[in-house]
Amino acid sequence: MTDKTCALAQAVAAIAPGSTVAIGGLMLHRRPMAAVRELVRARVGDLTVLGATLGLEADILVGAGLVQRVRTCYFGLEAFGLAPMFTRAASAGALEIVEETETSVACGLRATLARVGFIASPAWIGTDFLRVRPDVRTIADPYSGEVCVAFPAIVPDVALIHALEADPLGNAILGGNLAVDWELSLTARTVIVTAERVVPRLSAEADLLGQRVTHVVAAPHGAAPTSCHPLYPMDAQAILAYVEACQSDGFQSYLRAWLET
Amino acid sequence: MKPEFTPDEIIATCISRRLRDGDIVVQGLSTPLTLAGYILAKCTHAPNLVLASAVGMAVTLDWKPLSLLYDEAMWLDRPLRRMNFPSICREILPTLEPREFLRPAQVDRRGHFNNVCIGDWHRPTLRLPGCGGIADITPIYRRVELYVPRHDPRVFVESVDFVSGVGYVPDRPRDWFLVSDLATFDLHEGRVRLLTVHPGVSLDDVQARTGFPLQVARPLGETEPPTAEELRLLREEIDPLGIRKLETVGGAARMQLLRDIIHRERQSQRRDSRPYPTTQ
Repeated sequence: MTDKTCALAQAVAAIAPGSTVAIGGLMLHRRPMAAVRELVRARVGDLTVLGATLGLEADILVGAGLVQRVRTCYFGLEAFGLAPMFTRAASAGALEIVEETETSVACGLRATLARVGFIASPAWIGTDFLRVRPDVRTIADPYSGEVCVAFPAIVPDVALIHALEADPLGNAILGGNLAVDWELSLTARTVIVTAERVVPRLSAEADLLGQRVTHVVAAPHGAAPTSCHPLYPMDAQAILAYVEACQSDGFQSYLRAWLET
Repeated sequence: MKPEFTPDEIIATCISRRLRDGDIVVQGLSTPLTLAGYILAKCTHAPNLVLASAVGMAVTLDWKPLSLLYDEAMWLDRPLRRMNFPSICREILPTLEPREFLRPAQVDRRGHFNNVCIGDWHRPTLRLPGCGGIADITPIYRRVELYVPRHDPRVFVESVDFVSGVGYVPDRPRDWFLVSDLATFDLHEGRVRLLTVHPGVSLDDVQARTGFPLQVARPLGETEPPTAEELRLLREEIDPLGIRKLETVGGAARMQLLRDIIHRERQSQRRDSRPYPTTQ
């Protein structure tokens, strides 16, 4: 398959309930909001949401009742404070949390890239993370004997990535804030790239290679209200409106209005 | 007459003065007060400070005034080198040990700290956003530096509910430092020790707002207050919108401040027809 362009609904139809969905971008930057909205419309549930950090996009998925498990090192809205629906659900024990840190995510994805079962690191030693992640083992360094943590390989089922520009093969430009998208695009089984525009040939060097990309979708303004540097900044008023709606129990009406946009 | 200053200003000043010219510093998640401190150092005694960010994905020598709407621009417009997230946390952090001031939700008498949850992890009373990479760097760094914008017995606790940041490690002396809005601290014989109180603050004030008995340095010093020039730089050059103050207020006041900052930044962007502010 060479031309991978399709409609957003067709791309999202490739996501099965119960999938581990990795979210591209970082913090409130270049998040795949259009793809997330389509996921909510399609009501694909029981998801494990994975991200180096998670924010607005994943908070909406949690609020919509589509998330069973989260795996991230930070789930929040940066300057806008706690992620309201995540904080509520997690504090009520309604979400399964697989604790991750920057290193466990980075090592996990890089282990998959290297085709090994783990990458070792001195991270987590002396913390409580090993207590709540009994699946993560320690090993003795075979050379020095030092105890280190063997961070297991991570293979996402799906990656959702928003780009500035993509070609029909899935090669894409990310605009500087690269996040963890290179690793996601090479490790996930299904890779959906939405882009501000889809062009026959990229106008500059690609940040992502299209080889493992499965779907390419034109989605102008597809990161809003998060930023898409340097095309548009974050829409701070829209993010603030979300937080205020959630604070007054208005998530459901916010969601209805958002799905209509 | 000594200049009047606010909690964010003395914390930013203490952060600035800890840094040395040529240091590499890291801006963490949602920590504008540290960035104000780093830029203050760059504008005063450390012009060759190298700034890195896992948020902006870059290393840069240039700075811009703090921005809420365009916070990526400082990192991405004129980067010294672009990186991605795994490269920064797997390559830059373990090798270069950049300076980074971390903000704990709880810190205990052993200097351990927590950004994961309040209460038992299995049944938390409050789930927190998470620790980012704090659990990755604090087991290995030779230096641990913290800041607490609002000194409170709920922050300074006898024992943290979850260790996501490592403080005292037996047989491994290291430089542990904390600045709050009241005082500065270090770790002495494995326990948190009060080092200096900020001007106008007494030992009793600090102890009353600390949830464990404090060790006190002898003699107890007073923190050097910000100079008039440091205050001018913070208020007029580095952070005229007052974004750093988002860390020292809470609740409804914080929401109001957030609304004000967004409004003022949008106004100033409208006056300035360029889409992004210029790099210094």
